[in-house]
This record gives sequence, C-alpha cells and structure tokens, in this order.
Amino acid sequence: MGYKAVIIGGSAGSFQVVTKILSALPKTFPIPVLLCLHRLKHVRSGFVEALSLKSNIPVEEPYDKDLLRPGKAYLAPANYHMYVELANRIALSTEDVVNHSRPSIDLSFVTAANAYREKLVGIILSGANKDGAWGLKKVHDNGGIAIVQDPQECEVKTMTQSALQLTRVDCVYTTDQIIGFLLKIK
Amino acid sequence: MTDLGIVDLREIIRAIKSVYDYDFSNYALTSFKQRLERLMFRNSIPSPDILIKKLQEEPAFFDTFLYEISVPSTELFRDPSLWRWLREEYFQAAIEKNIGKFKIWLPGCVSGSELYSLSILLSETGLLDKVHIIASAISDKSIEKIKEGSHDTKKLEVSAENYKRFNGNKNFSTYYKDDRNCVFRDASLIGNVEFRKLNINFDNAPQNNKLILFRNNLIYFNPTLQERVLLLLHESLSGSGHLVLGIREKISGNIAIKDFEVINENESVYRKRILS
Repeated sequence: MGYKAVIIGGSAGSFQVVTKILSALPKTFPIPVLLCLHRLKHVRSGFVEALSLKSNIPVEEPYDKDLLRPGKAYLAPANYHMYVELANRIALSTEDVVNHSRPSIDLSFVTAANAYREKLVGIILSGANKDGAWGLKKVHDNGGIAIVQDPQECEVKTMTQSALQLTRVDCVYTTDQIIGFLLKIK
Repeated sequence: MTDLGIVDLREIIRAIKSVYDYDFSNYALTSFKQRLERLMFRNSIPSPDILIKKLQEEPAFFDTFLYEISVPSTELFRDPSLWRWLREEYFQAAIEKNIGKFKIWLPGCVSGSELYSLSILLSETGLLDKVHIIASAISDKSIEKIKEGSHDTKKLEVSAENYKRFNGNKNFSTYYKDDRNCVFRDASLIGNVEFRKLNINFDNAPQNNKLILFRNNLIYFNPTLQERVLLLLHESLSGSGHLVLGIREKISGNIAIKDFEVINENESVYRKRILS
C-alpha cells in the first residue's frame, strides 16, 4: 500500500513515545510525518528542539504554505492549528480552539484525511482529553489506517479510549508495534 | 454540519463573484471550507444551494457573510514578546524621528483585538496622540462590533495572561467594563481611530503608512493571493516602513529578497527595502 503521509496526535505527555518513534525511523523515511501534540499556547520554543535531539529525520515547525516533503517531520506550532492543504502544503490557522486545544488534533487529522484519503496513516497516542477521536474516525471513514496506542501502555488513557469508543480502529498497537508498522512503509 | 465538497465550494465562489464581484477563488481552500461550514451551521443553512440563493437574494446577508467568513484574532497581546519589542525597541525611536502624525494601518481587523492591544500599548507609553491609526475591515459588522468594544468573554483569561507577559503597567481589568455576560472594552482608547472599509481586492488601501500590522491574515490566502497582497502592502508602505506578520508567516521567494528586509526574525518584522 502506497501511503502518502503519517499523522500522529497526542498530548505533551506522549513526548517520550514520539521521541522513540522518531529515533527509530530511518533518515530515508519515504513520506512526511505530521505531529499534532497538545502544548502550551504561549511557549513557542523548546519543543521542536527537544524532539530533534534524538530524531533521525529533521523535525520542524512549518511556516504557512510550506510544502510537505518526504523524510521530514512537521510539528504543529504553538497557538496555531495545522491543516493539510491541497497540493501537498501545510496551512496554518488561528481559528477558535477545538476541545480547548489549539493546535487541535481533530482539525489536523480531518484535513489530512480529506487530502490523503486512503493513503493516510493516523495514530493516536496517550493524551488527556478526547481531542483526536473524531479526527481518527475521519481517517478511518476515508479509508486510511487508524491506529491507537494500546491504552495499557498509556499513563493518561482518555484520548486513546475516546478514539476506541468512536471508531472500530484497524490496530491497537504498543509503541514497538507502531514502529514496526511504520518501518514497513515503502 | 454540512460537509462541503470542492464542487460546492466552486459554485459558491462563482455565485459571489457574479453577484458582488468579490473573488474568493484564491483563499486557502481548507480554511475557507471550514469557515463556510461554520457559517452555514450558525445561520441554519442546510445546503450550498440555499446559501447561494440567500446570497443572491439578500444583499444585507452578504455583510454577515463577510463578517463570519473572516477569522478573528485569537486574543489580546497574542505573542507578548512582539508587543514588548514594539514598545521597547521600535515605537519610541520611530515616532520621535517622525514629522507629523505617525501613520499605522491595520488592514485585516475582525474582532479588533490587535487594534485594542496596539491602542493600550500606545496609551501606556504616552504616544497615542502622536499616531494616526487606520483600521480596515471587510464588513460593516466588524467595524460596528469593534467600535462598541464588545469582546468574547472566553478570550478574556488568555488576554489577561498575555498582558501580564507584556508587562503592561496597569491592572488589566481597567480596560474592561463587565456587563452581565458581556464584556466591553474601553472604547475611548480607539476614539481617534479612522475606520475604513476595505474590499477584498485591497482597492482603497491607505498610502504612506509607517507601520502595517497584518498578523495571521495571509494564512487564509493561497500563495498566489499572498504574493499579490504583499506587493500591495509594499506599495502602501512609506520608504523604510515596517510590516509585521504572524510569527509563522514568512515572506519568501522573489518578493523577499527584492522588496523587504528582515528586521526581527522571531517576531516576523520586515522593513520595506528601497531600491536605489
């Protein structure tokens, strides 16, 4: 299956898992990785630097309308929603908060699902509210692969359990299984 | 909520173009779609056909449309570090050097948060009577709302936190009047502001501006329209005038090198380059 993008949602608490995933991906990872992680609105710097430390692929906070490139990770910037726009570009927005969040995982996932349809892998990690559940459903409804981190592995289970309640997801995976899945993407 | 497809969006854009000669075809599609869906939901419009009919038959509704299609700024003093920079590194020197009123233009007002933030800053530094502020909005409704000073109560808390980070020298609550469920800003702050309605082609842009604040507006345009608008903003700046964009908005490509130089990269502040 030729996937075109991976999108990962979680809260700041899923930092360790995201770091582990990014450190396991090869430099030549064939598609872009979008990261929508809940974060403080007023803290602009530090997050992307911390994620970059152990990542094999470059991690950046995109500027509006940046082109999405394979083998790069894009972290939703503080106090902006991050959308996937047509023509493989990022679009940012200062639209109202969704589920008390900006960036909102739902909005990132829904727009990515619209853009990539069945060629999208959506992954929901540990998190403290239900943001992401509706977005993952849209990934699934559009024919993409919906993956949820095994709640047993999560310190805070609200996000993963909300996603599991709303959608019959394709896989419930541990972090290692998520990595195994991603490494098979050609 | 209705889920609008590409074809629906094109039909709506075409109808607006033919009735009002406003061209939304270079708006960023994802945000525009989302905003349209929200507008339809809020106005109980069940289908794109009914929206189009309403737009064709009710000219008064078009102003509501323009108001609701625009995304308001998120809160007062968004990015406090920019406002500190403007206060500490920019305004005093820039206004001192200036002869006559210092002209500032805000082309994309929706809720007026940027306008009020700016007015508070200038009032606290004693510079408010040395400037001529022009605030533009695309809808009459925006201008009315800004003038009456009504403010979304949900955004009050974040605004107050931002004001603290900005190190303002008053108690933030002095800028508000609480009226049951509604909060009103102190509208005397904007008593001398000139309001000017702007159509979406920027036809009637004021000229010779020393400073343009246009943060987080370009993100709602596609690259073609972004470039066109940046050139218009460039034209409307005075020699070595400054332009402030949102922190994740960037001037790139040909325009960047030729027309603007970066003054503060972290806060997206640019200066018009004058070619000799």
